[in-house]
Amino acid sequence: MVCYISNTPASASTAMQTWNDSAPIYQQLADRLAVQLLDGSPPEGEALPSVRHLASQYVINPLTVTRALQALVDTDLIESRRGLGMFVRSGARERLLQAKREQFLHTEWPQLRDKLRRLGLSAQDLNWEAS
Amino acid sequence: MNNAATIASPAPSSTPLTSTPTMSHLIEARDFSLRYGRKTAVDNISFSIPKGRVVGLLGHNGAGKTSLMKAMVGLIGGTGELKVLGLDPRNQRGELLESLSYIPDVAVLPRWARVHELITLMSGLQPRFSAERARTLLKRTSVGTQDKVKSLSKGMVTQLHLALIAAIDTKLMILDEPTLGLDVMSRKSFYEMLIDEWCDGERSVIISTHQVEEIETLLSDVMMLDEGKLVLNISLEAMDSRFVALSHDASAADAVASAHPLLRYRQQGRPAALFDGEPPEHLQALGQRFRPSLVDLFMALTRKPELRARQD
Repeated sequence: MVCYISNTPASASTAMQTWNDSAPIYQQLADRLAVQLLDGSPPEGEALPSVRHLASQYVINPLTVTRALQALVDTDLIESRRGLGMFVRSGARERLLQAKREQFLHTEWPQLRDKLRRLGLSAQDLNWEAS
Repeated sequence: MNNAATIASPAPSSTPLTSTPTMSHLIEARDFSLRYGRKTAVDNISFSIPKGRVVGLLGHNGAGKTSLMKAMVGLIGGTGELKVLGLDPRNQRGELLESLSYIPDVAVLPRWARVHELITLMSGLQPRFSAERARTLLKRTSVGTQDKVKSLSKGMVTQLHLALIAAIDTKLMILDEPTLGLDVMSRKSFYEMLIDEWCDGERSVIISTHQVEEIETLLSDVMMLDEGKLVLNISLEAMDSRFVALSHDASAADAVASAHPLLRYRQQGRPAALFDGEPPEHLQALGQRFRPSLVDLFMALTRKPELRARQD
């Protein structure tokens, strides 16, 4: 499951008010779209929904959607094809996975490790095989 | 910025706030005031609204929102300068009303009328109204053209009203408390239709509402009125970088208080403080930054009427 990788739910919002206060909305939307890309939706080489479609789906301003997409362009995950919209770049999934791994190792893991130490848990206490 | 221009391709692209050829601003106000007898409803405000924006007009009851909107459509006059679509709302009202879409806070549709009769009526009244577009918009809703207004729920009436005015080919929509009294699903459908059918990067809409938290993500800009004064006028993008919220332990409360935050409150049970600009460095180590919500900002700014708007 993707819960490790992001704290934001992967499913599309069905209600208003599904954003938190951790980051600007555009960043949260970019994170959500990235999680979906990681799950293969849409697959590499395929088109993303239009700005308008995303704006109405998430009930957020089209400018915010544009900023979120720009953030994904800046991280080489998607690209704009003139007149056609945004497309998932080839290798996007692998790059995303790599970035998420690094994020985990550099920010989440040290916190988790500190917590494990505080709780007195060692590697043997952790069940790696659990589903 | 080249990327920014290409990214939006089929859908609207962003409008830089800096472009200033005439008429790039749909609304322009300079030192505009409005008085009822001795009471000042709108107090010397200046702002401009470019195309392609979704502007939230926020304020407590009596802050001047409805007065300002009425002035925009020429229902009341004030002093100073106010131009809407390049026109003077008071002296060129007829021309102006043909080119804007407006739902007042007291909006009513005749209860005895059938939907198709309203479409015919609008066709006769509004030269820019498209009956075909109205029917297309209504297909999104559960309102049928044979329905009588009195048979519709409040949510459906509001959707009908939006469909009727969104079918007028204009650049500017003014909505005064459009979702008042609607349940959450109706509000969501209303805003979905607004985004999907109105916001094309060219047209702008200005919405007044009390449901601040709900429209936050919808907005591109926010204007806050407090006792007639414009205490904040900022794009949501600029808001993200200008205001910083810090949640901290109770033990840091004195240090935080001495840095004079705009507002001290509680966020998920923890003490928090809202700063205009970067908080002092020694404080940042004491707490955790988070994104201040529009509601927090609203609470902070409308309690302190002395904080004047800083135009970007």
